[in-house]
Amino acid sequence: MGLSAYLLVSAALFCLGVFGLLTRRNAVGILASVELMANAGNINLVAFARFNGNATGQIFALFSTALTVAEVVVGLALVILLYRSRGDVLVESASELKG
Amino acid sequence: MSPIQLALLATFLPLGTAFSLIVLPGVRRAGKLPGYISVVTALVALVSALQLFAYGLEVHDIARVTTQWLPHSVLGASSAAPSTIEIGVLLDGLSVSMLVVVCLVAFCVQVFSLGYMADEPPADFGRYFTWQSLFLFAMNTLVIAPNLLQLFLGWELVGLVSYLLIGYYWKKPSAARAALKAFWITKLADMGLVAGLIVLFVNTGSFNWTGTVAVAGPVTLLLFIAVMGKSAQFPLHVWLPDAMEGPTPVSALLHAATMVAAGVFLVARAHPLFEQAPNTQNFMAYVGGFTALFASIVAVVQNDIKKVLAYSTCSQLGYMVCALGAGSQVAGFFHLTTHAFFKAMLFLAAGGLIHAVHSNDIHHMGGLFRKMKLTSGAFIIGALALAGVPGFSGFFSKDLILEEVWERGLYLPFAALLIAAFLTAFYMGRVVFIALFGKPSEHAEHAHESGFAMTFPLVVLAIPALCAGYFGAELSGMYGEATHFHLSPVGMTASALGLCGIGLSYFMFGAPQGGAALRTVFAPLGRLAASGIVDKSFLFGYRTVLRGFAGGIGWFDRYIIDGLMNAIGYVTLEVGARLRPLQTGKVQDYVYVMVVATIALGTFAAFLR
Repeated sequence: MGLSAYLLVSAALFCLGVFGLLTRRNAVGILASVELMANAGNINLVAFARFNGNATGQIFALFSTALTVAEVVVGLALVILLYRSRGDVLVESASELKG
Repeated sequence: MSPIQLALLATFLPLGTAFSLIVLPGVRRAGKLPGYISVVTALVALVSALQLFAYGLEVHDIARVTTQWLPHSVLGASSAAPSTIEIGVLLDGLSVSMLVVVCLVAFCVQVFSLGYMADEPPADFGRYFTWQSLFLFAMNTLVIAPNLLQLFLGWELVGLVSYLLIGYYWKKPSAARAALKAFWITKLADMGLVAGLIVLFVNTGSFNWTGTVAVAGPVTLLLFIAVMGKSAQFPLHVWLPDAMEGPTPVSALLHAATMVAAGVFLVARAHPLFEQAPNTQNFMAYVGGFTALFASIVAVVQNDIKKVLAYSTCSQLGYMVCALGAGSQVAGFFHLTTHAFFKAMLFLAAGGLIHAVHSNDIHHMGGLFRKMKLTSGAFIIGALALAGVPGFSGFFSKDLILEEVWERGLYLPFAALLIAAFLTAFYMGRVVFIALFGKPSEHAEHAHESGFAMTFPLVVLAIPALCAGYFGAELSGMYGEATHFHLSPVGMTASALGLCGIGLSYFMFGAPQGGAALRTVFAPLGRLAASGIVDKSFLFGYRTVLRGFAGGIGWFDRYIIDGLMNAIGYVTLEVGARLRPLQTGKVQDYVYVMVVATIALGTFAAFLR
């Protein structure tokens, strides 16, 4: 299999993530969609590392994974707080700051 | 004491008195005490001035002591010459004579005021004498000024005191209005003085009146605008008749003898400057001549005794200005001196008459001569001096002016002055025949001679009013070249005209069956003069021209400038309101836009390649 197969999988995954991001009303779902997009990027990095024959892409993927984990920690903490204060996790209902 | 010390004493003692009265309300309200303090101050100033006079300074004997006031750097470097601004004392014949005039008249007026103002409440009485002392300081500062900047200082101070004293009866709306009117009109004219000083300083680097000045023309013209305001020359004379709202002694001191003469003094002082500007001098001669004529016409129909004297002051100041315009510092200043004495006496005598009948109207007086011999006598002496009857002081100075104007070849102003001389005698005759000899009115029934305080100053002033003319040669020697008096055809014509004026007024107002026919002849002239045409034209100018202009500017500001700003604001608000729905606050909408935009831009880039 060539590089383009990996890239196609990655692009499909990214588009799924974008679709989820735009359509989900649930904050947890939105977070999951963002994760999909991040992992689509990771697949790209690893695939390029494999076909270029060096480890640069893999190292970047490691960093990216660590970053994503931190993001999920913060995001889920926000979601929990949101749930505690409002009783639901729908993004459009949290609109008190809207002028 | 040295001359300088005497001059400083005469100037700063009144300031001390005024200052003490201002900061010590207890003294100011202590009944007659402030009046006595002020009179003693004026007496000390008078004695100092007389002693200075006794030194017999001539115009070239100049005692000048100055100290640096403003360093040059404060005023910014001028391109011409390095300069320092000085403040100090300048004593020569001119300033010493003026000091004597000011102090003598001020002393007499203050003594008179002790009687005239005796019924005022203590607080107002104190206030009155505070301003009187302040005036003496201000006027003396002006007189001894060694340069135009210090003169300007005194000039503005006397203007302030004039405002305060005209508005002495400030509870009367007309007095408050008159004070404001005097203040505004003189301030308007003083803009000319400020501008003239600036032009002078920028070009020469000093405020001195000596030396050759390239810009003498504009500078003197600007100075003359201020003179027109202060010395009540047409058309800026309108404040002076209204200034009669002040107490009569104030009118005598400020608005007849000294303050209004400050303008004449300025021109006499800055004579070297004016000599370099013949065009300004000619303009002055015409303005002065016209004012002399115009004011004497208006005076003929006034019934208020103070208004008659006010217009007569205007007219006599016109004589002085005309003389200065003819280049004769001596004639102008000589007339200033004699006029100060007899006009102050006239005003004080008029004050006595007013005090006796409690009315300003000459028809309410009537036959006062029999009841108030001394006051009436003083008034008659003053009137004869003013009319230029031979032998009285006004005759000599008026004659000198007419001669100088004739010799300079200013025939039109000369004719105006000659007619004014006739009218002067006529209106003074009218006042004398109606107020002193006319039919007694019921107002005058209980009139009686005034007390010592109100007759003594009249006697003091009557002496110079009678005799000052005979010392013309000596006096003129003090402030210019000595002029010897000689009978000239010009002077005789003027005197003859004056006598005719008196005779005519006798036939019209004095004779038992007064000439009714003559009165009808003069009626249209009277109506014209009584209509207050100058005041009306000022009002017209104010209401239509100035307010129209201001209205136009206001319209432009309101609808064009403000309109532009409002339009910008309106458009911004509208655009904001339209764009506002785009800002939903939902992150997903923004992401949507972002995605679509990225796809669009990517597609666009792909096509571009």
